[in-house]
Amino acid sequence: MSDELFAALRQAVIDGDAASAGTLAQQVLDTGVPPLAAIDNGLVPGLSWVGEEFGKGELFLPDMMLAARAMQKAMAILEPELQAQSAKRHVVGRVVIGTVKGDIHEIGKNLVGMMLSTSGFEVHDLGVDVAPDRFVEAAREHNADIVGVSALLTTTMAGQRTVVEALAAAGMRPGVKVIVGGAPASESWAAEIGADGYSEDAIGAVALARRLLGAEAAATA
Amino acid sequence: MGSFAPQAGGAPQVPRSPRYDRLTPDNCRRLHDASLSILERTGVVLHDAEAVERLAGAGARVTDDGRVHVPGELVEWALGVAPHTVTLHDRLGAPRLALEGDNVFFGPGSDCLHIVDHRTGERRMARLADTRDGVTLVDALPNMDFGMSMFLPSDVPPEMADREQMAIMLRHTTKPLVVVTYDVDAMLDAVAMAEAVAGGAEALRERPTIALYINVTRGLVHNGDSLRKLLILAERGLPALWIPVTSGGTTGPVTMAGNVALNNAGVLVGIVLAQLVREGAPVVIPGFGGDALDLRTMVDPYAEPDHRGVVPSLAHHYGLPMFSLAGGSDSKQPDQQAATDAALTMLVDALAGGHLIHDSGYLESGLTGSLAQLAICDEIAAWIRAAIGPVIIDDETLALDLVDALGPDGSFLEAQHTLDHYRERWYPSLIDRLSHSAWMSRGGATLGERATVRVEQLLARHQAPPLPEPAEQAIAEILNRAAATARTAPIP
Repeated sequence: MSDELFAALRQAVIDGDAASAGTLAQQVLDTGVPPLAAIDNGLVPGLSWVGEEFGKGELFLPDMMLAARAMQKAMAILEPELQAQSAKRHVVGRVVIGTVKGDIHEIGKNLVGMMLSTSGFEVHDLGVDVAPDRFVEAAREHNADIVGVSALLTTTMAGQRTVVEALAAAGMRPGVKVIVGGAPASESWAAEIGADGYSEDAIGAVALARRLLGAEAAATA
Repeated sequence: MGSFAPQAGGAPQVPRSPRYDRLTPDNCRRLHDASLSILERTGVVLHDAEAVERLAGAGARVTDDGRVHVPGELVEWALGVAPHTVTLHDRLGAPRLALEGDNVFFGPGSDCLHIVDHRTGERRMARLADTRDGVTLVDALPNMDFGMSMFLPSDVPPEMADREQMAIMLRHTTKPLVVVTYDVDAMLDAVAMAEAVAGGAEALRERPTIALYINVTRGLVHNGDSLRKLLILAERGLPALWIPVTSGGTTGPVTMAGNVALNNAGVLVGIVLAQLVREGAPVVIPGFGGDALDLRTMVDPYAEPDHRGVVPSLAHHYGLPMFSLAGGSDSKQPDQQAATDAALTMLVDALAGGHLIHDSGYLESGLTGSLAQLAICDEIAAWIRAAIGPVIIDDETLALDLVDALGPDGSFLEAQHTLDHYRERWYPSLIDRLSHSAWMSRGGATLGERATVRVEQLLARHQAPPLPEPAEQAIAEILNRAAATARTAPIP
């Protein structure tokens, strides 16, 4: 019975059908199925599938967004019961993200933020033209695992190094990981400035974030 | 001799294109009205106090959220006083590019991070020597009409890169230039260098050799540096390329009409501001736009078909000079796709009368440049010029007397008329049409291989005439001063 419900939830997310997702979430509550099980066995696999297909170039970004919206609709219904049962949804990691000081380009950064948040990360987007101190403050405030720093210009990419240095000066490295992105950035640039990773696209950024946190978990386990 | 002989030496001739209008006059009016509606209803965010004050002083409404709502009458006034033509000059001050009517001119792009090195085929970071080679090649290629930096050098300090590019462009080509700088100070230095070459500020204003490319954040958000640049250029009467960019589905509507209307609202704000500073200030508006990211890959494509010709139609509706985008490819190598992308986009933009058409030689959606690809684009430009030029129909070219004299079965090969006119036909420099055996005996090379050889030959023998010593000195002083400032500036 609940397996059918999970499959239907999964399909509703894949179809980006928020109305169905909402109706099915209500059925979860009405039939006494544990909300966490519905999330882990229905919603999350649905969203992951969409993410994978997008990564393969089979689906479009709006397909991802529709799927995320369907998931949010279901979550909004499941959330109160989840809290009543004091069950905690698993957050993959906490990420603070922004574009460096002096740089106002946002599209790439926004995509990374969206991909991370649809992939189960808690994302705090600081916007564009963000001073190094703001990255540090926000990372502290939100207990961030990862700080993502974007720069589009060769003239502003030095700001990525400044953020790494500011986090180090605040004593938050290497606990807080730093990932960098943007047209002029590269694997070697990330290494040069002491960042923990680089990805050339948003899908890669999710994999990178997962890898960094996985490595962290393994190291502290 | 006919008046159209594109392969002849000297300055490239200006083809008057039979214009392809993607939009009807009604389409244009509807888009224009939509832009006015956006300006009045939604407003724009301008990150410069003087720009806001100037607009407010002229009747724009500034709301509590800081948005500037520009009234339609102000826009119509500005469109009435903005110049309908801008002419760019060569190093010697001769008029070369009249940006008006159906004239089309081709040139490269700027600031590629990488180069596909024609010597090795390797993709690597671009260096200052590549910028020099690229500009030298532009100077040598007969169908490239203006220069841009092509490459962003990785081997100079980033804060000096745009000034170093400017010095290289002034030294290595005599052709008019489109100049990209990061910030206001760098733009002022670039202008000062151009003034040194032109013989002073007055000379540069009267016979501008440069147009300054201002990349604006998005349709309804204009960054401070861009606005400062526009106001300064308007004050000085130097040509500004005012180019807001709106990406369909991310920073604007995914639909073409909404995207173009929104971006055009930002274009109109720039025209108004420039005219408020100085009536008749030369502003060049976009001849491209309405594009969208590839929502499967998030790549910003350069050679997609669907928005081609739309914005040039609108710019022609306004009768304003435009800066268009064609010749760039999304391919990674100067291969079959790159040639197809370049040929199709250049042809459509030429037919659309795109005026100043940049981005020949771009690969990888603007991230990489190739000199071989630039040579191929030069050949494509030659082909297009031959394909869209006027046909001369007069007694001499109709040759009725000759037809009658030779009769129905005469041979025209030996006729003086043939000897007089055969060179008017177009002959390729790179495109192959040999017999198979002749092609094989010359090495059986592909277009890409032939283009590489041409690049090597041109770079080996071509050099622009050197700058006069005082101009060289002035450029060196500007570079030295900027470098000293950069060294002492605090780390951001």
